[in-house]
Amino acid sequence: MALALRLENVTKRYDKTLAVDDVSFTAEPGRLFGLLGPNGAGKSSTIRMITNITTPDSGSVTLGGEPVGPASQARMGYLPEERGLYKKMKVGEQLVYLAQLKGLAAPDAERAVREWLERFGAADWYGKPVGDLSKGMQQKVQFVSTVAHDPELCIFDEPFSGLDPLNAEVLQETIVDLRARGKTVVFASHRMEQVERLCDDLCLISAGRVVLRGTLPEVKGRYGRDTATVEFDGADGWIDRLVEAGAMRVLSRSNGRAELRLGPGTRPNDVLGAALAAGVEVSQFGLHAPPLTEIFRMAVEAGESAPPAEPVPAP
Amino acid sequence: MNKTLLIARSEYLRRVLTKGFVLGVLLAPVGMVLLIALPLLTSLISSDDGERRVAVLDESGQLYQAVAEAVPERFAVERAAAPLDSLRAQVLDERLDMAIVLPPSLLTGTGDATAYTRAGGGLAQFDDIRSGVRDAVRGVRLREVGAPAEVQAVLDERPGLQSVTVTDDGDAADGAFVASAIGYVSGFVIYFLVFIYGAMVMRGVIEEKQNRIVEVMASSVRPFELLMGKVLGIGAVGLTQIALWTALGAVVLAALGPLLAAFAGPPAAAGPGAPPADLPFDVGAITALLTPGFLLILVLCFLGGYLFYAALFAAVGSAVEQESDAQALTIPVTLPAIVPMLFLFPMLEQPDSSLSVVLSILPPFSTVLLPVRVAVTDVPFWQIALSLGLLAAAFVGAIWVAARVYRVGILMYGKKATFRDLAKWVRTA
Repeated sequence: MALALRLENVTKRYDKTLAVDDVSFTAEPGRLFGLLGPNGAGKSSTIRMITNITTPDSGSVTLGGEPVGPASQARMGYLPEERGLYKKMKVGEQLVYLAQLKGLAAPDAERAVREWLERFGAADWYGKPVGDLSKGMQQKVQFVSTVAHDPELCIFDEPFSGLDPLNAEVLQETIVDLRARGKTVVFASHRMEQVERLCDDLCLISAGRVVLRGTLPEVKGRYGRDTATVEFDGADGWIDRLVEAGAMRVLSRSNGRAELRLGPGTRPNDVLGAALAAGVEVSQFGLHAPPLTEIFRMAVEAGESAPPAEPVPAP
Repeated sequence: MNKTLLIARSEYLRRVLTKGFVLGVLLAPVGMVLLIALPLLTSLISSDDGERRVAVLDESGQLYQAVAEAVPERFAVERAAAPLDSLRAQVLDERLDMAIVLPPSLLTGTGDATAYTRAGGGLAQFDDIRSGVRDAVRGVRLREVGAPAEVQAVLDERPGLQSVTVTDDGDAADGAFVASAIGYVSGFVIYFLVFIYGAMVMRGVIEEKQNRIVEVMASSVRPFELLMGKVLGIGAVGLTQIALWTALGAVVLAALGPLLAAFAGPPAAAGPGAPPADLPFDVGAITALLTPGFLLILVLCFLGGYLFYAALFAAVGSAVEQESDAQALTIPVTLPAIVPMLFLFPMLEQPDSSLSVVLSILPPFSTVLLPVRVAVTDVPFWQIALSLGLLAAAFVGAIWVAARVYRVGILMYGKKATFRDLAKWVRTA
């Protein structure tokens, strides 16, 4: 049973602020869908409507063709950005309770919870009060609460925030595994490097509107290969000279490495030539599409300068 | 299982299966008993703390012997040889506890005796000395006017007053006193339980909002289910407490009844300073009043009042992020609740005045005042039914309002809500 999530012309208004403005997108089963946007863009408002915590003023949200409601809530798992559990309740008791609220019978819930804790190497937490666990451990418990009832649609809002790299890795593997099992996964974040690494499709919203939408290769393909990554050994004064001349912008720069966005009239050879002329040892020079962070920035700026949402082809 | 019931069960178990609850159930009555018994105990103990040295300066020349015989034994009385000034000095440097001056005018019925003590002597000692001096003066003067011994005996008698309440079921000794006491205690117990558990609901709501689990809950259940689950679960905790107290009380009463009777039985056992030999109540009178019907009214009033206030408390809790912010918003909830406490004594004195009748019917005051009135007087059935019916209507209304505030409030973060906001949520939700 694979269920696609579809939003059509969804609008939500709080008082006088338009939180979500005519948003449409589809998240397909077996794919990782990235819902991106700066803080306050309307991600959480959108997710609240998907999870049926609030209802849209207009437009529709459907899961597998059915409007979302109590029935669809049981088939969703939601990991909110602001985590929270009952601190005094024991881990197992709490997870079983939350799974029961999603419609699982007590024995099934207990079996699933034990399996998931086992998988995270946390079987011996079962009888411990949540408040006694470290923050990272609590995050894992909350993650289990999101997936223990085997939902068809998983929504993760900033799932990796506050996790150490090792635990983030475990979580990422689990998310990829959910995708492989045909689940619909929605992943909300403003951490572009994670989105770039994981997502199949993405939708960028800014000020409540969709400003960019498509599959990851599609979106990246819309921008040329105008970004150069240079690795070199030596002084980096040549970079500043090129920037001052208006030939390019620096996206990131560290000791012996720079990511450069070339201006319209600048050829890659100009950059490489300048580096060589400065007498530095270039160990690597590569050309590629701009990173998502940069695309994100441009799209937001374009969205702000051109108020009506730019026409974007549906994925 | 129904989600509301699932939530109620979890809320219930989370609170009942704690050491705090068990201790609270057991210790609260112990605390109450101690509160009543402690002053009695301390008075017993302090009366044994050695004799008080009292010097009597008998200026009348005829009263010393009679006074020395009339004051209780714990006063070591001696005739003062020194003048008042030196007696005062002795009181000051603690060689004496009290100096009593008996002027000649006492014998003509125009003067008063005077007792000199240090600060902090306590009031009880004056009562004992006063009645001792009175008895002595009366005795001496009666003898002086040549009154016969019979007159003296008549004046020494202390007849009491027995109260008997007449009901259809027969007469009950000390009924009025016991009924007032039970009414008073019932009113207080309901008031406190409603508030303790109402505030518990508010804390629960705030806690869920504070640690953000409410977002997860709202993605699984409807806010109304969450609200009702919590209210019902915590209400069940309150009922459990009442049930345990009733059981505990029955056991204690059963065990203590014979004990009290034995203690009060032989009047000779009552030493100086002990409680009066005849207890001011009859254990049988208590059990006669605690009928199943009365207990049922007690439970229904608790439930109705609890549902009414818990819903309002939950609404307040949903609108704030911290308990300290809740203060301003809870005042309109707690203020009307104090009203019945102000009318408790008028209600006990005049349970059938029209004010009493109205207050025992009008919600939410009726939650406290209906049981009080039922305890002290015969309330017509239609009034009980009307009172409980109105209470039910009131809590349904309160829940309706609270649910509308709650479903908006639990998702609101950042700004402090005002009454204007709450009113708007009720209208638009």
